[in-house]
Amino acid sequence: MAHLTDGTLRRMVDDTEASTAADSAHLDGCADCKDRYDAIADDARSIATLLSAPEVKVDVAAAYSRVMRAPKAQPALGLIRLPFLRPVARPMKLAFVAAVAAAAVMVVAFAAGGFFFQPTKVQPVPITLSDLQALSQLGEYGTLTWTKEPSLQVTRTATDAASVSGLQPPAVSKLPTGVSSTVTYGAMSKAEATFTFSAAKAAAAAAASGKTLPTMPASMDGATLTITIGPAVGEIYGNFSQPSSANATAINLPQLIIAKSVSPTVSSTQVDAKTLEEYIVSLPGISDELKKTISAIGDPATTLFIPVPVEYGTSKTVTVQGVDGVALGDNTGVGSAVVWVKDGHVYAVAGSIKQSDAIEIANNLK
Amino acid sequence: MNVGARRMTAVNADEAAFETLFSAEYGRVVGIANRVLADAHEAEDVAQEVFIDFHRLHSASADYAPAWLHRAAAHESLNRLRGARRRQKRELAQAVEEADKTLDPQKQVEMAEDRRRVREALGRMAPKPAAVLVLRASGLSYAEVAQALGVGIGQIGTLLRRAEETLRKEVTRGTSN
Repeated sequence: MAHLTDGTLRRMVDDTEASTAADSAHLDGCADCKDRYDAIADDARSIATLLSAPEVKVDVAAAYSRVMRAPKAQPALGLIRLPFLRPVARPMKLAFVAAVAAAAVMVVAFAAGGFFFQPTKVQPVPITLSDLQALSQLGEYGTLTWTKEPSLQVTRTATDAASVSGLQPPAVSKLPTGVSSTVTYGAMSKAEATFTFSAAKAAAAAAASGKTLPTMPASMDGATLTITIGPAVGEIYGNFSQPSSANATAINLPQLIIAKSVSPTVSSTQVDAKTLEEYIVSLPGISDELKKTISAIGDPATTLFIPVPVEYGTSKTVTVQGVDGVALGDNTGVGSAVVWVKDGHVYAVAGSIKQSDAIEIANNLK
Repeated sequence: MNVGARRMTAVNADEAAFETLFSAEYGRVVGIANRVLADAHEAEDVAQEVFIDFHRLHSASADYAPAWLHRAAAHESLNRLRGARRRQKRELAQAVEEADKTLDPQKQVEMAEDRRRVREALGRMAPKPAAVLVLRASGLSYAEVAQALGVGIGQIGTLLRRAEETLRKEVTRGTSN
């Protein structure tokens, strides 16, 4: 038998149980390997001493409350974190929801569309953390009720996804190198929710957080926004099989997500677009930049706002499938995405891929 | 249960999952960062940053949560170490004359000096071998180290052995300079 490798010997130093009977027998009978084992064990011990550090006594409860107080740990988008975004055990479900939601639900937080909103184009809106926090308070200024709850299903085939949603999943002509061809489909039925503004709830929420708020216009109290989302289909590329203990693989995040959704709609009673828009931009914490962007948008009733957190991402306008789309690049290395609206549908291509790849996939979707 | 109550339950369930994850892993994440930085205060700072990042982007009930936290703790603290190393280098360059004259023979000072030298050596290593050393020294099992770094468990013995040889060389190089 060949001599044992350094790696095998090193593992035997830490865990004699982990070695095979043949390896143990070899070590017992081989003076050369025994010498190497002793040297490796000595080295391991001295390295352990070198890497020693005084133990840290932690107060977990105090640390937990510090982390929960940190602004970034707060739910980021208030209204956007609707019940069906909550908590999903499996990352692929989460990823699918994220893609559909990014394309469809983002509009809710902005809801500046007014009387009847149905986007036919997309527009990036740079937002800051403080904007997000200010906007997330909006969720507490009324009551959200699902009149038709979204149901999300993960299916094995495109046909199943199409029969659940009534939409054919877009076909990808060529995957970028390195993206797994293992695909999972997801389908979401049409969902409808209403949000009813309440001046009393807004006042209570403001009092609870110790803030002074602009007075809610009389026309907004009791006004309802009716929001429809989906139906939607998506496909997620990536291998989600559980890492086995014998051969643990990398963390299984989706590599590529493609989603298609019927354009969301928002209609409102009592309150017009202008009033709502003015109220939103008057909230404390809204940055001047966001105020300017919202005011500059010509026709909010047909524009789907894509919030781009300024600390984390950049965006540019690109042409996709003959229409204007928004390409998001991510400074954190998480990935890139392209979103566009065409023929009454919102499309999104997102993943841990280069922006140029995302645009190419988007242009070649069938 | 009405929709509002159901929403609250879902929110609470998510927060509860995060709290459970935090209780189970906070000590280990601090331990990993402290192994790299040898500084309790900074290690807690890293751990909190790692948990905040995780909470912002991921579901606490995700299978990969512990592995993600371990890897992030190792990488973030190694990054800080490199930053600190650069700072120290500048300070040392400025104070090199004085430092030679003020060497303290006491044991505590020697230990502190040893720790500083080992951390400098760790900061000079490539990220992956440095992370293998740190995660294993923090008490993670071979399987946990493998999951955190996204490699097969069978490779850990070899990676660890090579990393130990590299660290030893780096420490020696640092001492002879």
